[in-house]
Amino acid sequence: MFRSAIVRSLRASAPRVIKTPAPFQIRSSPVAVRKQFAPCFAAQGVRFYSAPAGLNKTEVEGRIINLLKNFDKVSDASKLNGTSHFANDLGLDSLDTVEVVMAIEEEFSIEIPDKEADQIHSVEKAVEYILAQPDAH
Amino acid sequence: MARLSGLQREVLSLYRQCLRHIRQKPEESRGNFKRFARAEFQKNLSVSKKDFSTIEYLLRRGRRQLETYASPGIRSIH
Repeated sequence: MFRSAIVRSLRASAPRVIKTPAPFQIRSSPVAVRKQFAPCFAAQGVRFYSAPAGLNKTEVEGRIINLLKNFDKVSDASKLNGTSHFANDLGLDSLDTVEVVMAIEEEFSIEIPDKEADQIHSVEKAVEYILAQPDAH
Repeated sequence: MARLSGLQREVLSLYRQCLRHIRQKPEESRGNFKRFARAEFQKNLSVSKKDFSTIEYLLRRGRRQLETYASPGIRSIH
């Protein structure tokens, strides 16, 4: 009970502390100068950050398919779609798969750890993985 | 793809490391390095996947080779 009373009194006093004038306030500067700088301060005070731009599925898929189109070892480009399997549909061997995964890394500027990279065998899996990464872009 | 054995995964991991190191090389020679790395792996494509001692030896040799070529002094390869 005693403690809660102390907390309450602290909370009540907190806003008063904040309201005290800032120590760096300019007091003696001439009015003209202050007017000149005022807009500048206002502009610095507010910063606008864009909302985190999420990737949508079609975009990720499109970028991965584009990347595979430029990959010269893809044997049958007509089989290239959102669900194609690297080895079964596109005729890539395991080393090619590693290369593709590395290219995907570069495309989305992320680093895929070995363990996860070993699991990516199809366009579908890759898209799934990229969408699960918050810092992919 | 069938599930990979530990040794197979190690080989792929070595290849991945090679590619990561190649990214540090100057842009114009990256193609050469890539082709070289690929050729080195392809040379031993015929090794049976049950031939553990050979694969282990090749892995060790590959790692040492990577260490050598990773040095920043080596800027290109022919």
